[in-house]
Amino acid sequence: MESVAVLLPAGLLAGYFVLAGCDVGLGMLAPYVARTPQERRRIVSAAAPYFLGSEVWLVAAVGVVAGLFPALEAEVVAGQWPLFVALLAGWLWRDAGLWLRGRVAAAAWHAVWDAAVAVGSWLIALSWGLVLAALLGGGVLPPLFTPVCVVAVAVLFLLRGAAFGAERLVPVDGSAGSESADAAARATRTLARTGLVVLPVAVLAAWADGGVDAGAAALAVAVVMLAALAVTAGVSGPRWSRLTSAVALAALPAVVAAGAELPVAVSDPRSLTLVVAATAPMLPVMAVGQVWLYRLVRRPAAASGFFA
Amino acid sequence: MFDDPLLWARLQFALTAGTHYTFVAFTLGMAALILAAQFSAVLRRDGARLAAVRFWGGLYVVNYGMGVLSGLVMEVQLALNWNGLNDVFGHVFSAPLAVETVAAFFTESTFLGLWIFGWDRMNRWLHLACFGVVTLTAYLSAFWVLVSNGFLKNPVGFEMRDGVAVLTDPAALVTNPSALLAFGHVAVSALLVGGLVMAGVSAYHLRRGNDPDGMFRRGVRRGVLVASLALFPTAAVGGAQYPLLVDAPPTSGTTLDAAEIERIEAAASGVVHGLAGTGNAVMTLCWTVFLCVLPLALLAWPLRGLDRWRWLQWLLPVLPVLSLLAGVGGWLYRELGRQPWAVRHHMTTAEAVTELSPGLALLSFVLFTGAFAVLAGITGWLLVRFARRGPEGGPLAPAPAPDDTAAVPVHRY
Repeated sequence: MESVAVLLPAGLLAGYFVLAGCDVGLGMLAPYVARTPQERRRIVSAAAPYFLGSEVWLVAAVGVVAGLFPALEAEVVAGQWPLFVALLAGWLWRDAGLWLRGRVAAAAWHAVWDAAVAVGSWLIALSWGLVLAALLGGGVLPPLFTPVCVVAVAVLFLLRGAAFGAERLVPVDGSAGSESADAAARATRTLARTGLVVLPVAVLAAWADGGVDAGAAALAVAVVMLAALAVTAGVSGPRWSRLTSAVALAALPAVVAAGAELPVAVSDPRSLTLVVAATAPMLPVMAVGQVWLYRLVRRPAAASGFFA
Repeated sequence: MFDDPLLWARLQFALTAGTHYTFVAFTLGMAALILAAQFSAVLRRDGARLAAVRFWGGLYVVNYGMGVLSGLVMEVQLALNWNGLNDVFGHVFSAPLAVETVAAFFTESTFLGLWIFGWDRMNRWLHLACFGVVTLTAYLSAFWVLVSNGFLKNPVGFEMRDGVAVLTDPAALVTNPSALLAFGHVAVSALLVGGLVMAGVSAYHLRRGNDPDGMFRRGVRRGVLVASLALFPTAAVGGAQYPLLVDAPPTSGTTLDAAEIERIEAAASGVVHGLAGTGNAVMTLCWTVFLCVLPLALLAWPLRGLDRWRWLQWLLPVLPVLSLLAGVGGWLYRELGRQPWAVRHHMTTAEAVTELSPGLALLSFVLFTGAFAVLAGITGWLLVRFARRGPEGGPLAPAPAPDDTAAVPVHRY
């Protein structure tokens, strides 16, 4: 029961990366794929329904780690204080941008909050890269591995965002203006090819850097990520990108689980019982809600709504 | 004093929690009122009432954004800045918060997304049900957060083993009177806030003669009724908590002996307790204002005064602001009154804080309190703006029909 319990935060984090990778990645890609005000608006109305359903996975993961794995929380969150402050700041401003952007019909207002979305999204992705590097480095940022790791994680987020944008940025009424969706679709191949170069360099850097002590299991996960990127790098890459980008991002917590030594023992079974007993009745509602939300917003982004 | 990381961490928590609660009280109160309004609209198949729901819902969603933003910071802040508390009491204090994030907030945010985007895209009863889930999980969220907060004030249900608190009695933790009474008080006072918001905004529009389809006539009556019904229970449940302030918690003495407890309490700052008293005074004073005005509003109701007495229509919009102020005052009273303890009779606030350098603590304070000031200010401005604007062009108003700009001949021969 106790070692299985770590699957709960691990699963929540995997879900977060797969789902939130879409809206964070799209936010990062926004300055590149969206050039006109119309396209910028479509970016926000694409990301906006998703982030409500995706960020809650991270909120839940942090809650579960704090509540059931205090030793893990102390080592990871409090131990990497500056990185999580940066992550929180990026998250806060990215969300503020999405919530506030559509409230005033002025170009200057839109510009400010679009910038907040883009900068915040980049900060989120870069912070996660640093956190990953720190965890694999045993609590310290390894000097050789860190920059490559950060670039690799950023590429994975960008890829997920591009895959997401390729579908969601298509104009809803079939009218002209699909340049941003096309740009995103083309970007999936480019990003996958970049990833195919960066990822082996990251593995080499990890091997060369004395601070990183990841074993064969982490390498196996890296090979899976490489395979996903290879599929996406080919001619039919954009078609597969939705699936492969999800696999690549979901592999991130798996790399940490396989490669980092973290205190994951649940030392208080009654706390676990309380959390499981209190959340079990809500699980069907949560599942229905999430599936329903993603199905509802799978149609291309509407021209106007609360968020844009 | 200003190079003390504890002071910065405490100030940051106080300011961010106070801001968070202001938006939460609005959320809790308005959710119940909007649910009732939408139920009425769906039952009667009334488009005009549904337009009114779009108006109130628009204010709700604008407010909810800041509620979420502040909530994210609250959650991560506890993990970042209050590591000492988590090290010792993590299993007991943070477990209910874990339930809140997984079961309550997760569901609430998901179904709010469904409610916002599902408008006119799903069966209207399903759409209402989505908001029902949102309301229920909002209150559930408040409950679990108050279970954690109630534990700090009245620690029950645990044992100290090797310097770590281990949960031995989950039932006691969940039925802690400090938690249950606080939840009751928060729930009812939130209804007071919601009622006053609806009454205040409606009175503003009635004063200006703006009342599309009678929505503000209905709004002022509903708001006054709900606020009046919530007024005495707020004081009653709140007052029921006073005995808990005096009695020592049942687990008192298991970590520190009575002499040490007395010594720590004697060394506590009198300024903090003075501030706590000020919070109590503000809260009580605001409640007294409501006690004076709401009976007048109830009296005005059969005399058609709610529609015609301008002095009352000037007075009512002030009350929601006072109710939010009362909420902050109440929290100051609760939290500062517990000082110097983080966990009463077990851990002081000084022991609960993470070991940070003064520079990092100051940086965190500036970053997050600054961000809150900006975002809360913007949200407050937007709320007032949209409240004054009315249902036309509100945040949840239906998208305007596509502009038919093709030239059409005016006359046909």
